[in-house]
Order: sequence, then structure tokens, then C-alpha cells
Amino acid sequence: MDFLNPVLDGFGVVLEPANLLYCLAGVVIGMLIGVLPGLGPAATIAILLPITYGVEPVAAIIMLAGIFYGAQYGGTITSVLLRLPGEASSVVTVFDGYALARQGKAGTALGIAAIGSFIGGTISIIGLSLLAPIVAEVALDFGPPEYAALALLGVLLVATVGRGGKLKSVIAAGIGLLLATVGRDTFTGASRFTFDSLNLADGIDFVPIAMGLFGLGEILYNLEERHTRVQVPAKVANVWPSRSELRQARGAIGRGSVIGFVLGVLPGGGATLSSLVAYAVEKRRAKQPERFGHGAIEGVAAPETANNAAATSSFIPLLTLGIPANATMALMFGALLIQGIPPGPQLVSEHPDLFWGVINSMYVGNVLLLIMSIPLVGVFVKILRIRPAILAPITVLITLLGVYTVNNQVFDIFLVIVFGVVGYLMKKFGFEPGPLVLAFVLGSVLEIAVRQSLLIFEGDVTGFVTRPISGTVLGLLVVVLVLPLVKIVLKRQRRSL
Amino acid sequence: MKSVRVRVCLGLTVAALLAGCGGVKTTSSGGGAEGNYPTGNIQMSVGASPGGSTDLITRAIAEGLGKELGVSVPVVNKPGANGALNAKELQSAPADGYKIAVQNASLFTITPLAVSAAEAVKIDDFDLIGGVSQDDYMLAAHADSGYKTIADLKKAGKTIKYGTTGVGTGAQLASALTFKVAGIPSTDVPFDGGAPAMTALLGRQVDVATFQLGEGIENVKAGKLVPLAVFSGERIKYLPDVPTAKEQGFDVVVSQYRFLTAPKGTPEEVKSKLFDAAKKTFATDAYKKFNEANFLTPIEVPPSEVQKMLGDSTSKYKGQVEQYGIKLGSA
Repeated sequence: MDFLNPVLDGFGVVLEPANLLYCLAGVVIGMLIGVLPGLGPAATIAILLPITYGVEPVAAIIMLAGIFYGAQYGGTITSVLLRLPGEASSVVTVFDGYALARQGKAGTALGIAAIGSFIGGTISIIGLSLLAPIVAEVALDFGPPEYAALALLGVLLVATVGRGGKLKSVIAAGIGLLLATVGRDTFTGASRFTFDSLNLADGIDFVPIAMGLFGLGEILYNLEERHTRVQVPAKVANVWPSRSELRQARGAIGRGSVIGFVLGVLPGGGATLSSLVAYAVEKRRAKQPERFGHGAIEGVAAPETANNAAATSSFIPLLTLGIPANATMALMFGALLIQGIPPGPQLVSEHPDLFWGVINSMYVGNVLLLIMSIPLVGVFVKILRIRPAILAPITVLITLLGVYTVNNQVFDIFLVIVFGVVGYLMKKFGFEPGPLVLAFVLGSVLEIAVRQSLLIFEGDVTGFVTRPISGTVLGLLVVVLVLPLVKIVLKRQRRSL
Repeated sequence: MKSVRVRVCLGLTVAALLAGCGGVKTTSSGGGAEGNYPTGNIQMSVGASPGGSTDLITRAIAEGLGKELGVSVPVVNKPGANGALNAKELQSAPADGYKIAVQNASLFTITPLAVSAAEAVKIDDFDLIGGVSQDDYMLAAHADSGYKTIADLKKAGKTIKYGTTGVGTGAQLASALTFKVAGIPSTDVPFDGGAPAMTALLGRQVDVATFQLGEGIENVKAGKLVPLAVFSGERIKYLPDVPTAKEQGFDVVVSQYRFLTAPKGTPEEVKSKLFDAAKKTFATDAYKKFNEANFLTPIEVPPSEVQKMLGDSTSKYKGQVEQYGIKLGSA
């Protein structure tokens, strides 16, 4: 059992008091900034980077990693309580999480999310320890055609989430796809819909769209509601999920862990896709899919488990290939370089203490996060007891501040206000912002991947089908599309018999 | 009930304050007397997201400047349009030395060849403080491909698909020029930055790719990638065995270099004070170690030399692009 030695040594590294302390600091900071909409882990790590120069490499990376996965825990809280998804990967949580909060079950939603996050994170760490090198090699087989197929699948799934009618979802998704085209064309450098504004050259940022459509739109809508009926603060009961609710979420958490681990390895959009796919799978498996969007507990458990599992597995490309999968990983890459430990294929063999120390610290970090979540859920839920007249302006202020901190641009504040009005109108006319936001995120992935694929195939479209992975995904897609039609036909025939 | 409300409000206030920390606001108390400079914080803005080379370099310099000048030097990220957004903001800031930035050469010498005139920025709109460092590009192939030199690509007798780190970057210009000069049929597959380009190369989705040294050097050391050429004028000390494109007979010299800039019209004393402090920072062991760790080559030269380098590369790239009929973008 020689191969186990470095793993066990890794635990030795983690349990050094200093490292434990850095782990705790990391997850606490992570959870706090996760609660704040806008200020994400990437910006926080950038601010803290200089502090880590004087710290031992292992301790520094343990802390920075803690900030990253800790933020995933915190992000749920605003999605559920205030309908403010701070990151693309928690957009899906809003559907049922916020619905549960309106029913006075915010505690249940947050509790299940914390448990799911813990289990998803832990399963993903085990996967990371055992399978990292293999998974990394498989991930390399995912080229542009595979991304194109996955993103297309994602866009189609978008239409099935949310509570609005299918047609309205499709319209919203279409608008999302159109918004994704704004900005400088990645292939030709041409400006699209930028009106010669440099602020739009990189396209619209995800944060102002999501904050505006969800958070601000909801607040504006509630303002109008207040004129027609007296508003009372939401009920707050059931601070912890019941046994039957836990049983109900069990399957969703298990499947969400696997989906999150697998899709999280893929750089760019992996976490978002995983939360969406996990949600769609649960909705499809459910006996009463109509519950989804109205406070289904699985609708919170699945995406929250998946996005935490994905956050953990997104370390795999960095630690085994030296490729940063997202903005936060890019900072980790920089932090490691500065520490004199260049991330690459030889990291595991040359710096086993760092590799295993960081991975094993995640077990500890996840336990700490779960322990912290339990009392904090009770505290955060009380936010809902605040009268809307007080809570709403504070939320607006934090939203505007948060949006500003992403790019330090006043322009983004105007964007969030514009999208807030759009979000209000959408809600008024029965459109869900979810499909729009998700299609927006997946749209740019889809466009870039399709165009790259066509360049690689030299214009031969059949390439998408002949490659094993993209072919399989596309096959799956056809099944997903055709199966309901077949069912309808069968039902009609049976009726006519 | 009331205590709860207070506690939560307090929590939110702390939260809001924390959020504010993200975009540190400087109180640039400029004042007239340049002799006393600096009397307030000096803000360094970065035209890219946290984590990239420009960001890390800025942070390393900011730390040193803060120590040398005895003021706080906050770093603010203003990503957008490859750095053009930040450039335009800096351009219109007061020229008092309280807002400076490290900027990339490619933004002034290469990007204008790819984007519309409205989005292009000109170096004449800024004052130069001094040079910082050079970040070189390499062309690499997957180890299993068997390619070892640029000539091998020609011998392959097929259309070479090459990945680059995006439109209007040095990586795109260097590879496009190489394939044109060498007469190798090729297809440009742009990726959104170095990481996806590396992934595609390691997964053999593309035949070769060009990226910055730091992004690929570890995979070269691990034997997964084979460097075919570097695009510097002379060999690079971090990869001493890899010949330059020029050595292989192709006149392609492209590299990314960075320099400190200030708004146009910043007083001379202020600029020289800043450059002196920067030079002292460059001389510290910590900064030298930083350069080594990031595979950067110092070019800590006075502003006049930076000006000359920029002028030379602008006209050279423009000439070559026209000569070989290369279209980098829609410009």
C-alpha cells in the first residue's frame, strides 16, 4: 500500500495547527464573501494574494482553496433568501429555493443545501484523490465539438426549468442567446451590438444580468404588490429539514454529487452546466415534475450538491495538467507560481505534500463549513423577518455595490438597473428570468465551441456526429427531444383503442 | 425580535463595508507642489481580471512602490476590451501621478491591427514612466505528433490547425506570420485565452498552439509538449535549447512587453520619482524572484527606449501584415 503513504502524510500536513487555522480562515472568509452578491472568490483571492507571499506554500494554498469552496456554501444563502444568485452556478437554486423561502421553509432549503454541499464536496474530494489523473486525461478528450454538444444539450434543458409555460421559457432563452452575442467577436474582432462603447466590448457581464433580472426585478415587483395588498414579512418556520424531507432529497444529493464531479472537471461553464443538468435529471425522474419551481426540495438539493462537487473537481485540471479551469483557478495558478511551485503534470510527484495537503484540507474545510452552517442558517433565516420596507433598500444597496466590485465599473450599475426593470416586466408578464440567464451563459460557450469545431473540421458538419463523445451527447439529445413525442403518440393510440 | 433586527442590519453593514473593500477608493489628494509628491495614495489600475500576468506584475510593483514611496498603492482591476477600457480611463484621469498603470505593448502594437478604430488605443495619448519586463511566446506541438521544428510542420504536407490565445494577441500575430513566411497551409483556431488553448493542444484538438512561456513551460518540462520555436529576438534563458523562429530562417520576432504609464502631461519630477521607486523595487530579491517564477525577462529601461521599441514594433508588424496579406481581424 505504498501509494497510500503520501495520502496519509497529507493528513499529517493538514492537521498541523497552523494549517488548520489557515483552513478555518479560508472557509470563513469564503462563506462571508459568498453571501455578498458580486464580490466573488476571484476578487477576494486577488486582494489576499500579497498576504500569502510570506506564508508557507501549503498553508497559503489551503487558505485560498478554502475561500473558493467556502464561497459556494455562502452563495446559496442569497439565492434562497433574497433571490440574488451571485454566480451562474447558483441560478438554478433560485427556482425552488426562493419558492421554499416564500412558503416559510427557508431553513429547510438552506439546511438541505448545506448538507448536499457537504456530501457533494466530500464525494468529489474522494473522486479527486482516487481518479484525478485519469479524469484529467479524459477531460482532454473534450474538445470544442464536445463542448458544443454539451452546451446545446444545456440550452435545451433550459427550456424545461422554471415554472413558466414552455413557450415563455423558450422565448426567454432566445433573448438570452441574443444577449450572449453582444461584444467583440472572438474570431474576427468585429464589434457586435456594442454601439462603439468599450464597456460592451467584452459583452455583458453575468453578474449585472442575474442581479438585475432576479434580485432587483423581484424588489420592484414587490413594490407594486404592496399597493394592492398589505405585505407581511415571510413566515419563518422549520429551521431544519425534517427526516422525510431528507429522505426525499437523498437521491438528488447522490446523483448531484456524481454529475457535479464529472462536469466540474470541464473548464469553462462546468459548474453551471452541472447544476442545470442535476436539476433537469431530478425533474425528469420526479413522479410529479410540476412540483418543481414551486418549492421542490430536490430542486435545491440537486443543483447545490452539484455545484459544490464541481467546485472541488475543478481543481483537477490545475493540479494535474497545470491548466486553470476558471478565474479563481487562474489566481491559484499565479499564487502557486509566486510560491515557486509551478502547477503542471509533475506537481503530484514533485510536491506531494502540497498536493495531498491541499486535497485533504478540503475534507476538514467541508466539515468546518457544515458545522458553521448549522447555527448560521438560523441566523440568516431571520433576515426574512425584517420588514420589506427596510430589507428592500438594503438589498438594493448591497446589490449595486456588489455589481460595482466585479469590474469596478459604474457602467455595470446602470446595467443592473436596466435589467432590474426588464426583470420586473418579465415577472409581470409571467416570464421566468432563469431560462434567459442560463441561456445567456451557455450561449457564448455554444457559439465559440461550434465555430471552433467548424474550423477544426474544416467546415465538415458531420464531424460533430462521428466523434464518440459529441456523437453520444447529440444522440442523448435526440432521445430527450423525441421521447416525449413518442409518449404522446403512444398515449393517443391507447386512447383510440 | 428587535435585537435580531439590529444584529442582522449590523451584519449587512459589515457585509457592505467588506464589499466596498473590493474596489478600494483612493483619496488622491494631489495638490500643486510636485516636490512633495506623493502625499496621497497612488492607484494602479489593471486592464485585466485578477490572476493574469499583468495583474500579478502590477501587484508586485505596487507592493514595492508602496514601500519606497511610503504611501498606500491600491490595485484596482478594470477588465474589458483587452485593456482598452482601462487605457481610456487612465487617459482621462488627472495627470498628477496618482493614477498609473502597467500596460501591455500588444494593446498598442497588435490589437489595432484587429479591431475597429474606435476601439484602438494610441501610445501617444500616454506618458511613459519606464519599461518593466518581457513575456515571450512559444510555438509548441504535442509530444506524440513527432514535430520538432517549424520545418517539420512544412514537411507534414497538410493544413496545420493552430490554436492561439485570441484575436489581436501576439500569439495570433506570431503564428499567422510564421505560417505565411514559411508557406505552410494553416487554419487559425482562436481560443479565449491561454488555458483553453493549452487544453486543446494537450487534447490534440489542434496540431500546434502559441502561448506565453509561463502557460506551457511545465508541460514542456514534463515531456508532454515539444517547443518548436520561441519568438524572441534571442534565445530565452528559461528555454535555452529552443531555437528562435529567426534562427530557423523565419523573420518573426513577436513578444509581449509591459511598461508603466501615466496620463499625458504628468510632471517630469513625478515620473522620474515613480521610475526611481520602480527601479528600487526591481532591484529587490523578492521582485527578481517574482520575475524568475513567472518566466519574465526584465526590460527595466528608460521611457525613451520603451518609446522606440513601441514605434519599431508597430511599424514592423504593420509592414509584415500588409506584406503577407494577413488579416488578424475585421479591422
